[in-house]
Amino acid sequence: MKLKELKMIDVQFLGLINATLQAATLLFIAALGELIAEKSGVLNLGVEGMISIGAVSGFITAINTENLFLSILVGIVSASLFSSIHAFVTVILKQDQTVSGLILTILGLSLSSLIGKKYVGKKLNTKLEGVFDIENPSNILEIILGQNIIFYIAIILMIVTAFVLKRTMFGRRIEAIGEDLKSADSMGLKIGKTQFIATCVGGAFAGLSGVYLTLSYVPYWTDGMTSGRGWIALALVIFGGWKPYRTAFGALLFGFLEALGPRLQTYGFEMSPYIVKITPYVITIIVLILLTIFKNGDTGAPKNIGIPFFRENR
Amino acid sequence: MKNPILEAKGISKSFGNIKALDDVDFFLKKGIIHGLLGENGAGKSSLMNILSGIYIPEKGTLTINGQLIKRLNPDLASSYGIGMVHQEFRLIDSFSIKDNLTLSKSNIYQNDFNEAFAKYSDIFALNLNSMTPISELSVGEKQKVEIMKLIFNNSSIMLLDEPTAVLTPQETVQLKESLETLSQEDEKTIVLITHKLKEIKDFTETIYVMKNGKMVAKDLDTKAVSDTQLIELMMGEVKTSKFDKNNFKGDTKLEAVDISFTSEQDIKTLQNVSLEIKSGEVLGVAGVSGNGQVELANIICGIIKDFEGRVIVKTKDVTGKGVKSRKKLNLSYIPENRLGVGLAPGVSVLDNSAIKEYFQASFGPHLSKNVLLNSLNDLINKFSIKAPDIKAEISTLSGGNMQKLLMGRELISNPDVIIAAQPTRGLDVSAVDSIHNLIIDQRDKGSAILLISEDLDELFKLSDRLIVMYEGKVITEIETELATVENIGLAMAGINE
Amino acid sequence: MNKFIISKKLYRNELATFYSFLIGFLIAIVIGSIILLIQSKNPFDVFSLMLKLSIGSVNSLSNSLNKAIPLILAGLGIAIINSVKLWNIGAEGQIFFGAIALNFVYINTSIENSYLYILLLLASGFIGGSICIFLPALSKVLFGVNEIITTLLTNYIVFGLTIYLINGVWKDPNSLNFPAAAYVSESVYLPTVVGKLSSGFLICILFTLIAYYIKDKSVFGYEMRIAGGSTLTAVYAGISAKQKSFVAMLIGGGFAGLAGAIELLSQTHRVSTGISQGFGYTAIIVAAITGMRPLGIFLVGSLFGALAIGGSVIQTIGVSSYISDIIQATTLFGALIAQFFFSYEIKRVKDD
Repeated sequence: MKLKELKMIDVQFLGLINATLQAATLLFIAALGELIAEKSGVLNLGVEGMISIGAVSGFITAINTENLFLSILVGIVSASLFSSIHAFVTVILKQDQTVSGLILTILGLSLSSLIGKKYVGKKLNTKLEGVFDIENPSNILEIILGQNIIFYIAIILMIVTAFVLKRTMFGRRIEAIGEDLKSADSMGLKIGKTQFIATCVGGAFAGLSGVYLTLSYVPYWTDGMTSGRGWIALALVIFGGWKPYRTAFGALLFGFLEALGPRLQTYGFEMSPYIVKITPYVITIIVLILLTIFKNGDTGAPKNIGIPFFRENR
Repeated sequence: MKNPILEAKGISKSFGNIKALDDVDFFLKKGIIHGLLGENGAGKSSLMNILSGIYIPEKGTLTINGQLIKRLNPDLASSYGIGMVHQEFRLIDSFSIKDNLTLSKSNIYQNDFNEAFAKYSDIFALNLNSMTPISELSVGEKQKVEIMKLIFNNSSIMLLDEPTAVLTPQETVQLKESLETLSQEDEKTIVLITHKLKEIKDFTETIYVMKNGKMVAKDLDTKAVSDTQLIELMMGEVKTSKFDKNNFKGDTKLEAVDISFTSEQDIKTLQNVSLEIKSGEVLGVAGVSGNGQVELANIICGIIKDFEGRVIVKTKDVTGKGVKSRKKLNLSYIPENRLGVGLAPGVSVLDNSAIKEYFQASFGPHLSKNVLLNSLNDLINKFSIKAPDIKAEISTLSGGNMQKLLMGRELISNPDVIIAAQPTRGLDVSAVDSIHNLIIDQRDKGSAILLISEDLDELFKLSDRLIVMYEGKVITEIETELATVENIGLAMAGINE
Repeated sequence: MNKFIISKKLYRNELATFYSFLIGFLIAIVIGSIILLIQSKNPFDVFSLMLKLSIGSVNSLSNSLNKAIPLILAGLGIAIINSVKLWNIGAEGQIFFGAIALNFVYINTSIENSYLYILLLLASGFIGGSICIFLPALSKVLFGVNEIITTLLTNYIVFGLTIYLINGVWKDPNSLNFPAAAYVSESVYLPTVVGKLSSGFLICILFTLIAYYIKDKSVFGYEMRIAGGSTLTAVYAGISAKQKSFVAMLIGGGFAGLAGAIELLSQTHRVSTGISQGFGYTAIIVAAITGMRPLGIFLVGSLFGALAIGGSVIQTIGVSSYISDIIQATTLFGALIAQFFFSYEIKRVKDD
């Protein structure tokens, strides 16, 4: 009897870990994309909309072609194209990034609902399977090995992004632009081009995150299914202090909280899952305020984020 | 003699109706340190901005290495080897020295960075690890990295805008040695832009002097030219005062007692400055910018509150009180920074016209637009301001009209005390005349006036008494009648006879 | 190769914002039509039906204007805060918090006179909105914490709180499937004026005038403009930019909170997730598109209200209601693009 109970808890625990990893993967990829865009000085509040576009276009492709690779690709490309609206309006036309990003979210959500209308409730015949074929995982290692390809892509993206930003000329130049537009300009760096590309890369990442949502995380499509994950991704960038590894840690934490919410009662906690749901936001606000106070405003944010640049020629 | 590496001929450039550069010739010889001397607003920066491709001249030709340049922008200029160190550094604070030196597109020490860094660290006596972030550097060290950046970007012509303004005397000596090494060993062509006499004589081999947008002296041999000659060239011919100086002086209206102030960067910006101005008197403050004048004005006007000493306006001690307490005592401040401090950019002409006394147009929470409009119309008529659209942003006005609006706004209440900082900088001759008349009118109406200026002509013309500020101290105080351009000019340059 | 140099125009057409809006709206209608054509619907038919069902009768018009109330009020709040060049992305949360505050006061008090009671409840909504933005405002003026992020995150905290309340302590046992708080008594419903038009619209008109007054006619508005133009000028003029920012944020939050209160007392009659359907975000479009002008916000807010109603009714003929969201969003994108050409000059330079 006792042994059986123990076993139950074990299975529950592994389920929690699995859900944490999946939630974290989704959040992390989108956050990493936003991190890249913000490093170049472009704040894009449209993450939610971009994830949604990626999710719906990937899902539609999967339903129609049953080709998962193609679906992932379509999801990435369409979200990236979609984010180029923001890049065009803010980088080329120098309009307000806050407004443009928000509208991108509204547009993305409504557009994806419109496109996906006929696909609501359809079932996917193929689903992203784990890379290693593991049935009934019995320990954490097996849980990790049981994750699908996008999980591993996320890890690779994390390492590559961190490396590129810190160690390569290309990455340092992106950061230089986000830090100090005038200095970057005096170095002869192409500000507009870099910011445009970085924004679109951010969109592509959000698209991948969206594809993960509809092809693996909850393999169906319904309106508003991103349910605020884009905003958590934005919060995650702040929590992670604009650093890829810290953002990954934050993603695990926030993912854990997301996974924990609906399971609280099974663990015998009387805490409301809704309170758990808002903790990422509360944590982020507290971290942001504390960093601002104690690190003298140095939250890790790129210093020239949100500022349109144009060179004054006379 | 060497052929000039860069030759600018007949360069002209106007902003609005102000001629910033008027038929200017300038040429640089390879491997030599050139000095470009002139007051603020003489046109030095405009000329440098043209050489570095930021401004496009209306007239004139530019030849670099014997090649006629048709078009120039910052990218092209740097590809021709022209690099500039601005007064505000273009360094990324959170990045390492190495990143700042190497991220540039035109960096030439990609692969042998360490050797190059070691070599130039030696030349600049810079004892730092290349991975140190810029934010941990002192101002002097930043300056060195900024100059090194030009070298790493393969600049053969280095334009240095007031490089010594932020340096300690020891650092200045060090910079001189470094620049000499660069010019001799690396054959770098260097232009030192400054208004400090002592340095231009120490650093350079040849001197150019600018005055009012014109090049008044070319290629002077530094060894052969005297301080007095340079001052005369730089200050121009100072005309004798045109205004009547038999003005009646009444009670003391402004007193500053023993004022000291240490800036946030821990620099003693002001040390024991005292002054006293009577009703109907103009006290001129001479001095090169950055010797504590702005801080002094801000302290008197209540903007800076954490200073030592006392400020007394009309016998009332206002030390520790704010801007509004001064306004109540009818003190007016015409700040040096017209757009940005005195006037709010992006805000309409109408709103800007009311900044001094908008509360007089208020009835409880209500602000009467009619009262504002009437006062603005008054201003426009009295001070003949040309404002085509009063609802448009303030920046639609010309510099002269902006200043007239600012002056008018501050003077229309017939203030008891006026602080005017650089009231005519950058204005054309007719605007300067009308501003001068306004100041004298106000003097005759009994205002006590503190006039801060770099323009000796203006100071001699308007002031009854003169003080000279140097490094936060008053080093000379003299009746204008007894002062000569030479002794004031030398005091401004920190040379006390 | 040709190169382009962009510079800011000195003079901007006074009606630039208005023209930009028109251009944006036109672009949005064209894009909307294309989407409809792709779905093999006749755009002309759909749009005329939308028009008819949103403003064609007293009832439909009053529905549209009711829908406009939260958009206008929240938009006005955003505009007031923008006077000091700060953003309020938190209107959505403030709307919810206004409703929560109202319900809290409603549960804990009781006043005989229903008019007085309604006034008290509306006031609690307003104060609720202010409370909701209090922390972002305080951390902004004290420590300089970015208000865009804090107001944005607050939305989700408040939304989570709402769901918590209506599933927990406030849960109405009679509402089984749909979690919501108990209905408020009919005596505190906002009365209607004409047809279905809520008297909340009159409050909306009043507050439009108040916002206009604050921004354009008051000393406070003047001080906000100077502080927003240049902090150095504010210091020079003896105006405390921080104090103005703080007060502006509390007032602006209050406007959105009031919107939540009106929505509760006139539409939902209880706290539920339906208090706002993204009104706080649409309000940002409304405010931005009008260049933060109160009277413009009133007009565009009304138009967007009609669009939303039109969008929801055309579902009956099989057209997605999202078409109206898309039109709203693309209107702003179109307007932003047009704004560029009104505020910048592009010179072409030949590169040799």
